[in-house]
Amino acid sequence: MLKLRVKVLLLLLVLLGSTTFGAAEPGGNGDGLRDMQCGGACHGDAGQNATSSLSLSIETPEQVWAGQPTQVTIVAAGVDVSHDEDLVGLFLLSSTNANGDTPLSNGWEILSDGKGGTGNYVERSTDGSGVSLQHTWILRTDTLGEQTLFASVHHGDATGSSQGRPFFGISEAFVINIEPVPEDLPRLHEDFVPLSMREVGEATLVELQTKFTETVAIEWQTEDGAILDAPVNASGEQLWEFSLPATLKPSSLQWRATFTGQGPEQTTPWFTLAAQITPAEVDDRPIYIQGLAMGLLLFGAVVALQKPRTNPEAALKTFDQTAEIFTVQAAEPVAEPVAASLSDAPAPIPEEGLPSGWTEEQWAWYGHEYLAGTYGGGQ
Amino acid sequence: MVSANTFHVVATELVVGAYSLAGIAFLFCLLCPWLPTSIKEKRSAGDAVAHSALMFGIIATPFAIWSGLSSAPSGDMGSPLLANKMLLSMSGLGLALGTLVGRWRGGAAVWETRRSSIIQACSGAGATGLMLLTASAGGTFSRGESLLDWLHLPYNEVMLMPTYLSVVLLLLGLACTVVGFKPTD
Repeated sequence: MLKLRVKVLLLLLVLLGSTTFGAAEPGGNGDGLRDMQCGGACHGDAGQNATSSLSLSIETPEQVWAGQPTQVTIVAAGVDVSHDEDLVGLFLLSSTNANGDTPLSNGWEILSDGKGGTGNYVERSTDGSGVSLQHTWILRTDTLGEQTLFASVHHGDATGSSQGRPFFGISEAFVINIEPVPEDLPRLHEDFVPLSMREVGEATLVELQTKFTETVAIEWQTEDGAILDAPVNASGEQLWEFSLPATLKPSSLQWRATFTGQGPEQTTPWFTLAAQITPAEVDDRPIYIQGLAMGLLLFGAVVALQKPRTNPEAALKTFDQTAEIFTVQAAEPVAEPVAASLSDAPAPIPEEGLPSGWTEEQWAWYGHEYLAGTYGGGQ
Repeated sequence: MVSANTFHVVATELVVGAYSLAGIAFLFCLLCPWLPTSIKEKRSAGDAVAHSALMFGIIATPFAIWSGLSSAPSGDMGSPLLANKMLLSMSGLGLALGTLVGRWRGGAAVWETRRSSIIQACSGAGATGLMLLTASAGGTFSRGESLLDWLHLPYNEVMLMPTYLSVVLLLLGLACTVVGFKPTD
């Protein structure tokens, strides 16, 4: 028995020893709005993280106007050099607090994450196409002065000795100076929010609100990079309309506007408009009913199959005490039927004669009880 | 305050752990007749472990299902993976409850005949299998991978019956339950 226990213990030790650290979510976590804490802990345990060798930088335009869309690009250099990253998660952060550190926490508005969303975290596939990975967000803030942004990255390693290990990296601080907008600058209205997602197969009519603008020109491009012009119509005072064509499959296109007026000409960043197929509304009830039916059917089937069965012979055996009787008879000598014969015969009449008032017939029946002193309750 | 996601992780870990232990114990009980005598004598221990773990798993399962629904991104069955999880977990729960009720009514005698011991062990191990499949679907949904990926299971396809067929199955299950609980003369 001791040997068996030792063997089991050894087996458990071998199993424990053969486990390796692994990136818990190599399939990614999906784009979204995430704190840096997620970048450090999404792999399962931040203590397992290794330092990423990717070099991170942030690129912004020379002049950033308050209230105007600005493109912010993260450049990750060194991709697929030291490690086979496969999938890279990129964070745009406004601090390194690890919590409450998205650009939204510092007064930024994310107009586009470049993939049809408005989060600060995107996942990009490296697919071995180059050593540099770039991703652009469109941000806007009303806060004047210096603002700080950070780039952060997390990824795994698909091959080699560090396969499955989680890597995490964060850039140095990049300072952006937000300047007030010149009064006569032709520009987008502060209330304009670009559409970032639409349905496949639907053309989109975009309505632009502008300020100090006399003419608007629109350019758009598909994922293959060909740039086309879209006709623009004035629909009111500082209001403009243009149409973007429908897509036939889930994909994205980008557009930008060039404004001319009294002030210097202005061009917006490229706004991304993604197209998706929204899943149809699902009626939950049939699924719940089917789940309940399957559960009840399996329950009923097992209960019916395991129903305690009553065997008539077994039931008879339960009350059959014959064996015990035989056992007792075998153990004890058979008593002579003396008592029975005695009880059948009349008791001998005492020498002093029958008790007073007794007849012989009474004596024949109750004589034994009289002699035993039990007749009439012992009286 | 603990979020539904965190609570779901805790509940599923309890469910998967309990069912896994129960499954191993049920397999042990099933294979006992073919094991060496010294091990065979431990079947009563295996029986106790299997049903105790199964009962714990059954208690934790509703919490896992409820928290799973609360933590679903769209809050409903918007994904075929979630629909499959619901069907698998409900089936597993039904099978596990049937197994436990069978043991409660039949006592240790369920292991005395070949037929009833096979039914008991297979239903218990089957409940474990269904729960592990549910957990695997959950892993595929949230992390994009699971331990059962090598089986290439079609989690993105739901075998959804017409409602009338579900109702028929529901009535059939009800009839089986009534028959199972009806006292024998």
